[in-house]
Amino acid sequence: MALTDALPIETEVAKLIVQTLNLKIDPAQIQPEQPLFGEGLGLDSIDALELSLAISQSYGYQIRSDDPEIVATFASLRSLCKSIEKNRTK
Amino acid sequence: MSTAALLGPYHPDGTLAWTNGSPITCHRFLSEVATLVDRLPEKSTVINLAEDRYRFFVGLAAALVRGQTTLLPPGRAPKVLTQIVEDYDDSYCLIDGQAGVAGLPSVHILSAYGSSEEGQHVVPQIPTNHTAVVAFTSGSTGTPRPNPKTWGSLVAVARHTGARLGLTPTENVTVVATVPHQHMFGLETSLLLPTQFGLPFHTGRPLYPEDVRSTLGSVPPRRILVTTPLHIKACVTERTRLPGIEFILSATAPLPMALAQQAETLFDTKVYEVYGFAEAGSVATRRTVAGDIWQLLDRVSLSKESDHYSLRADYLPEPVPFPDHISLKGSRAFVLHGRNADLVNIAGHRGSLGDLNQKLNEIEGVRDGVFLFPEKDEDPVTRLMAFVVAPGKSADQILGDLRTVIDPVFLPRPLYLVPNLPRNETGKLTRESLLELARQLRCEDHRDI
Repeated sequence: MALTDALPIETEVAKLIVQTLNLKIDPAQIQPEQPLFGEGLGLDSIDALELSLAISQSYGYQIRSDDPEIVATFASLRSLCKSIEKNRTK
Repeated sequence: MSTAALLGPYHPDGTLAWTNGSPITCHRFLSEVATLVDRLPEKSTVINLAEDRYRFFVGLAAALVRGQTTLLPPGRAPKVLTQIVEDYDDSYCLIDGQAGVAGLPSVHILSAYGSSEEGQHVVPQIPTNHTAVVAFTSGSTGTPRPNPKTWGSLVAVARHTGARLGLTPTENVTVVATVPHQHMFGLETSLLLPTQFGLPFHTGRPLYPEDVRSTLGSVPPRRILVTTPLHIKACVTERTRLPGIEFILSATAPLPMALAQQAETLFDTKVYEVYGFAEAGSVATRRTVAGDIWQLLDRVSLSKESDHYSLRADYLPEPVPFPDHISLKGSRAFVLHGRNADLVNIAGHRGSLGDLNQKLNEIEGVRDGVFLFPEKDEDPVTRLMAFVVAPGKSADQILGDLRTVIDPVFLPRPLYLVPNLPRNETGKLTRESLLELARQLRCEDHRDI
C-alpha cells in the first residue's frame, strides 16, 4: 500500500526506521502522521537511541533531549522529517 | 538490632544531588524525607513510580524510615502492575507527575518539596534485616517472581562495589547515570553507590550522546558515568566530546572488548563492568580491556553443586544458583560461558522464554506460538523474534495483546505469522529448527522488498 501523499524525505526516513529497528513492515505502511512511540508504531527508548544514531550518521543531525522541540520531533514520521530537514548538515 | 545508616558521610551542607545545575544539600534531602515520612499512609508496601532520580530516592528513604517495602515492578505493563498489586494488596503509589496505578491510593512526592529546613536532621538508621525493596523478574511460571532485598544486602553490595572501584568516602566525585533507578543495577549503582559513600549523584537520566555530554558537563569534575553498552556505542559512534570522566561503569549486557578499548581511548578513561542478577545483586566486576576474567566482590563466594554453581554471601539469606554457565579461575574469579537456555537478557531486562511463551499462548486466537532469541549479531541489543499460528488474527493484533502482558522490551521484532511451527515427531521445537525457519522467512522478506 504505497502512500501517495508521502514526501520523498518521508519515504527515505521510513526506510531508515524499518532497517535500523529491524521492523517487519513495508516502509510505505508507516503513516506520516501515525505516532512512532507508545501505541502507534510501539517504539521505546532503546529504539529512540538507535534511531538517533542512524539519523546522525545519515543526516548529521544530533538529537538531544533538552531540545524544546524534542517531543514534537518524535511525534510522527512527518514531524521527524521536518526536524531533519531543518537541522541536517549532510 | 543491627542497623545501617541511610546515608554515608555527607556534610549537612554537602551536595547530595544535582538537578538542573543546582545542588541539593544533604540537609534539604533529610528535611524533605522527614516531611514525606509524616504524609505516607499506614501501608506495608509502596510502588514508587517517580521518574526523577532524586525524588525517587526521597520516596525510597521515607518508605525505609516508615518500615515499608518498595516494590520495583519489571515494567509498566498494566497487567504486570495489576498482578503485583493482587499479591501485595496493602500497597500505595508514590508519584512525581505521572498517573499512579489503577485502584491504588497515590501520594505525590513533590508534596514534601520546600519543606522547612529549620533544625537539625539526624541521618536515620535502618534495620539491616528490613526488606527494603522487592525486585521482580519474570519467572518461568508466568507470574512476576519477587526477589526481596534487605537493607543490609543493598548497603553491603554498594560498599563492596565502591571499594572494588577505589571509591573512598572523602573524595568528591559525582555519579551521572543513564540507567533507570527502578532497575536493580540502576538502584545499586546510581543511588546506593553514591549515597553510601557520601557522594553526589545527578538526578537526570540522559539518553542521547549529546544529553550524556551536557549532563556530565553540568556537574563539577570529577565524574563517574554509569551506563550500558548501548549508550557507550552511541557515544563512541558519534565521537561525542565527553568531559573528563574518572571511569565508566557498564552493565546490563556484555560489553564487547573492542568497544571498551575505543571508549577508553576516546574518552581518556577506564571502563569497568559489573556483573549481577536480580536474585543476588551485583556480584563481580572486571576492567573490560584486561580480559574475560570476572573478580568476585569481597564476601561473595562460589561453590560447585551437581550441575551448577551456587553463590553465597553473608548478606544473602541462602545460597543463590548462578544463572549463567561459568568456569572458576581460582577461588575468587570466573569466566562467563553463556546463558542458561531459558533466560534472555534484552537491554538489561532479564526474562524467561518459558514465561514469554506461556503469555503468548494465552492470547485469545493464538493456536501455537514461540519466542526465539536469534543468533547474536554485532548490535549491543538483540531483540527477540516470535513465530505464531493464529488464523484470523493479524500480527498487529497479537502485538497489541502482548503489549498489555509483557515488558515492551520483549516484544518480538519481528513477529511472523506462520501456518504451523516446525515441531518434531515428539512435539518438541528445537532451537535449530526455529533458526532455520527464521532464515527462510528472512529470505522471503528480502524477496518482498
